[in-house]
This record gives sequence, C-alpha cells and structure tokens, in this order.
Amino acid sequence: METMSYRDALAESMHDALANHSNTVIFGQGVDDFKGTFGTTLGLAEKFGAHRVMDTPISEEGITGICVGAALNGLRPIHIHIRADFVFLALNQILNMAAKYKYMFGGHYNVPIFIRAVIGRSWGQGAQHSQSPQALFSHFPGLKVIMPSNAQSILESYRYLLSDYHGPVVSLEHRLMYDIQFDVDRANLRTGEQAIASYLAREGKDITIVATSIMVLEAVRVAKYLAEYGIDCEIIDVNSTTDIDQQLLLQSLEKTGRLLVADTSWVSYGVAAEINRLVLEHNPHLLKVPSKSLGMAPTPCPTAKVMEDMYYPNLAQFAQAIIAMVGASEGDIPLPNERSMSDVYKKFRGPF
Amino acid sequence: MNSRWNYRDLYYQALRIRMVEEEIIKIYSSDKVQSPVHLSIGQEAVAVGLCAVLTEQDMLFSTYRSHAFYLAKGGDLKQMMAELFGRLDGCCSGKGGSMHLSFPQVGFMGTSAVVASGIPNAVGAAFAEKMLGRGNLTLAVFGDGATEEGVYHESLNFASLHRLPIIFICENNQFAVHSRQHERQSYSLRKHVEAYAIETHHISQGFDFCEVASAFSDICNDFKESPRPIFIEVDTCRYMEHVGTGEDFYGGYRSAAEQAEWKRQDPLIKDEALKAELAPQIAIEINESIAFAEASPLPSYADVLKHVL
Ligand SMILES: Cc1ncc(C[n+]2csc(CCOP(=O)(O)OP(=O)(O)O)c2C)c(N)n1
Ligand SMILES: [Mg+2]
Repeated sequence: METMSYRDALAESMHDALANHSNTVIFGQGVDDFKGTFGTTLGLAEKFGAHRVMDTPISEEGITGICVGAALNGLRPIHIHIRADFVFLALNQILNMAAKYKYMFGGHYNVPIFIRAVIGRSWGQGAQHSQSPQALFSHFPGLKVIMPSNAQSILESYRYLLSDYHGPVVSLEHRLMYDIQFDVDRANLRTGEQAIASYLAREGKDITIVATSIMVLEAVRVAKYLAEYGIDCEIIDVNSTTDIDQQLLLQSLEKTGRLLVADTSWVSYGVAAEINRLVLEHNPHLLKVPSKSLGMAPTPCPTAKVMEDMYYPNLAQFAQAIIAMVGASEGDIPLPNERSMSDVYKKFRGPF
Repeated sequence: MNSRWNYRDLYYQALRIRMVEEEIIKIYSSDKVQSPVHLSIGQEAVAVGLCAVLTEQDMLFSTYRSHAFYLAKGGDLKQMMAELFGRLDGCCSGKGGSMHLSFPQVGFMGTSAVVASGIPNAVGAAFAEKMLGRGNLTLAVFGDGATEEGVYHESLNFASLHRLPIIFICENNQFAVHSRQHERQSYSLRKHVEAYAIETHHISQGFDFCEVASAFSDICNDFKESPRPIFIEVDTCRYMEHVGTGEDFYGGYRSAAEQAEWKRQDPLIKDEALKAELAPQIAIEINESIAFAEASPLPSYADVLKHVL
C-alpha cells in the first residue's frame, strides 16, 4: 500500500481538479506565492495559469460572493482560507447566499463552490487562529461540511465533491495533520455519495468513540494504548458532519452500549450534542452508561503553551474517560504520561 | 423625447409594471400576496430604460425591490403572480416570494434581501463570463444605501483590478428606508467609485425611460468596444413607503411637496391619453395572471423539502 501525506493528498486533489475540469478555478490569499497554501497549491499557477489560480485581495466576503456568482455562471471555484477563523467574514455569502441560492429560487441554480479552511492548532495560535466551526456550518441546511482525518478521505471526498457534486461545500482541514503520512489504497477509493460517508476506523466491542478530524487520530492512539490493558475501542470517523452515518453509529452502540464523542471544537451545541441527539431520539436504552464528550475547554483558545495544553484534551484525559466508562477499577490502568497532544503531531517549529 | 427609442413601447412596459404594482396594492389587504413587498412605483423607468438595451443572455442581479427589473428583463408575469401568491407555479415554486424573484431563462439571476449581497455575485458572474470567453453583459443593480456596505467596496476593487465586464447600476432614490443619503454617507457616490479607477456616469432623468435607454445604450456600445467595469448612478424617486403598499408622508421624514416636481415629469402620470389607451389591454393580462396564480396548486410538505442540496 502507498503512503501519502495529508498535504500531498491536498496538493494532488487541487492539481487534479484543475487538470480534469477546465472550469475549476482556485481563489485565495497567497495561493500563487512561494509557500502555496502550506504547499497544497505550489506550482499550480505556473502550470494552469494565473487566471485559474488567483491571489485575491483580503476581502473574504467579497471573494466568496464572487465565487458564488462565478459558480452561477459556469465555473467551479475553490476558495481557500489558511485559517477557518477568517471565514467568519464571509458568513453572509456562505449562509445567506450560497446555502440558499438553490432553495430560495425554487431549484433554478446550483452553486458548486468548494471552501477549504484550515483549523489551526499549536502554541501561539490564540483565540482567533484556532477555531473549528463545523457545528456552525453543519447547522445550516444547504451546505455539505467535511472534516477529513486522513489522506484517503481527501482523495475520495475531494474528487467526488469537486467533480460530481454541485452544491456548496465547506472542508475543514487540520493544520496539525499536514505532515502526517497515511496509508492510501488507491485501488479502492470510494466514489459517489459514499465518498463522504463516515468510516469505521477501528473495530472494537467495549466502547464507541465517535471522532472528527484529528481527534480520530487521537482516538486511534488511545485505542492502541488501552488495547494493552484489554479495552477494545470501536472508532467511527464522522468524516462529514452533515452526512453522519446514523446506521453505523447505532449498530456500533448496539454492540458496545457506550458512547464517547471526541470533537475538535467546544462540546455544547456541537458535534457531541448532535451525536447524542441522534442516539437519544432513536433509542436511549442503547446506552449502558451515560455518554461522555471530549472537546475544548469552554473558553476562547489561550495563547501560551502552558494554557493551551490545558485547553485541549490530552491523551491521558481521553484514556481516563474511557477507563471510567468501561468500569475498569481505578488504578488498574496507568494513564499515559503525555501532557500535550500538539507535540505529538507538530512537525514544524514556531506557531504555524 | 428621444426618437431612437419607441416611446410607446417603453411606455407600455413601464405602465405595465406600475399597473401590476397598483393591483398588488389593491389586493394586498386580502393577504393573497404572501410576502412583504418593496414597490418600485416611481422607479419603473430605470428598469425599463436599462432592460430595453439588454438581451436575454445579459445577466442582471438585483434586490428585494424586484418587481420592476423582473418584468422589464422579461420575467413571466403569470409566474410572478403565482410566486407572490405562494403557489407551486411561481417562478421560484413559492419559495422566494416578492423579495426573491428570479427568472434565469431571461438572465434575471436572482434578488437578495440582504442589502448589497448580490453585488459580488454579479462580479463573479462577470469574472466567469470573461474567463469562459463569452461576451454577455453582467449588471449589478442596487440602491444608494447598498454602497455603505463593505462588500460593495470589495466588489468594486476586484472588478477594477481584473477589468471585468460589469456594469454597476446604483438606483439612487436618496433614501435607505427613512434615512437620507447625507445622513448616512460621508462620501460622494461617483467620486468614491472613481477612486477605484472605474468610469462613472450619471443619468439624472430617471423618470424618462427613453432618456435612460439612450444614455445606457451609448454606454453599452462603448462598453462592447472595450469591456470594463462601469458605474452608472441613476436618480430616481420611490413614491410609496419603503416596504408595504401605502404612502408614508405621515412619517415626516419626507414630504409630498418634495416629490411633486418628479411626479410632474413622470410620463406615466403626465401622458394620460396614452395611459387610457394602453391600460385596458394591460388590465386583461393582469387579471389573467391573477387567475393563473389562484388556480395554481399550493405546495406540499414534499415541496418544502425539495431543492435544499
Ligand atoms: C444587510 C442588511 N442590513 C439591513 C437591512 C434592512 N434594509 C432593507 S432595505 C434597506 C435600505 C436599503 O436602501 P437602498 O440600498 O438605498 O435601497 P432602496 O430600498 O432605497 O431601494 C435596509 C437598511 C437589510 N435588508 N440587509
Ligand atoms: Mg435607496
């Protein structure tokens, strides 16, 4: 099996979208510069032309509106933001226009725009470079929201959404995963709507961990750790927060009876709340013990590393939650000695 | 009157729009029309004059004050009425209503009720038009108030930076709801636009459809020689309240006297003879459109769920 980094999967997806569809254009601040959006758009302006890979003014709302209009008139724009926080300036165009254009006008239009936004994490990001707005975007009918947690997911979901899907999409990428290598099974890339379906990332019988984005990787790490102590975790990678595989979720809970949601954002009104709703409305008796949610502390993100390490959940807290839920007796299982999750993934120096 | 444009034809179009809106006023208290209405009465000549020059392929994005441009651009009256009545045969299947009319078959590309939101969409459509090597015009139509929004600035900048084939039309009725322009704006509209290196024009006789058409057609001829962003301010006058079907002089923010001079020049008021001649035929069409709307089925829950993705 081939291995590939998250970054290379993104770069390949961007390249292929331009190569396969002459009406695809990429907009974004710095997409044509020497850093090329963390290396995901490098060389594309040279290869496909500056008119198709276009540096933009710092006008998030305006450029989003321009993408909407271009999409209404035959283009398939990709709009890239190096931080998800910056997309908030474009909410009017995303929520009031892109998400509504088809509906409000009775189905006359499709708006195939694809918004890439990067979730930041690691010391120094602070309150305005670290947010993870999946709950916000998933709340509004009309949008598809994906949170790829690996390279395979990017290859599959981007190919489908950039070729065969015709509505607005928000993809929340995670900065900490860019340098991580993943196994990629090119012969078995999922296609069609299946391309954005949730994954069963690990089979297990004791507890169901439902996770998004980099928390899937954390779930895999914690599952490996606890496997040594006889705890068998099942992991569901949500993959798309607007297309959660309810059947996969319920089947898993029928087996495990225990639910832990691990999300990259705050818990209240978020993915954790939604997953719990799906379960409770189906059958509250599926749960043998109360569910738990793991997310960021209910505060804006602090900047200093010592506080950041407390703001995000770490492996020890993850393990502790699971141990408590499966009823292993306190003290039987030592907690992993790891204070910062970012340190595990961060392959670059400095804050970015 | 300008001889290049058939006064009678344009008069007919403008009168048709006014009579449609007068009919809306008449029936509004029945609640058959199921959305707020922002009437264009007083402003019809702008839409009629501009659209006389456009083809069905030219794309126009406008606002919640949508009736005049919808009809002038060639949107179907029956489907408009059904839309206002919230029926399935409405131009947007009842999901849009008065503030969200659209008729893509004639390039009437959508209307936003969030001030200024359609402006960047028009710029984006112009971007696509240029990139795909096609030659249709794109128009962004908005009010004087919309120029106070940040996205208007962003749109002007991008259009100028990339020399996009777009015409910005500002319908200046001097009011945003009840506020006068000078109470809201520290800038002069056209000077501000010129700071973006965008050429500006001013059409002051916005009541005169022939004048609007001939000024606009000169601009368009030049535009076709050399496609580029152009800004046109057209002075106009909204006779009715901002939203709703009444007059609102009782509110005290403007007076009937202020409008008297404008109304004195309004051909739809002035030329009673032609009005008397053309009105009966238009009335028949309007009645047919209402009958069509009333006969159209009401949407079901399945229809509510359609067209989301
Ligand atoms: C973003 C936004 N802010 C406020 C409103 C409320 N509002 C509706 S129309 C309007 C005035 C707009 O004035 P102008 O652009 O001059 O258009 P006109 O109504 O005069 O045609 C306002 C403030 C809105 N619809 N959208
Ligand atoms: Mg106004």
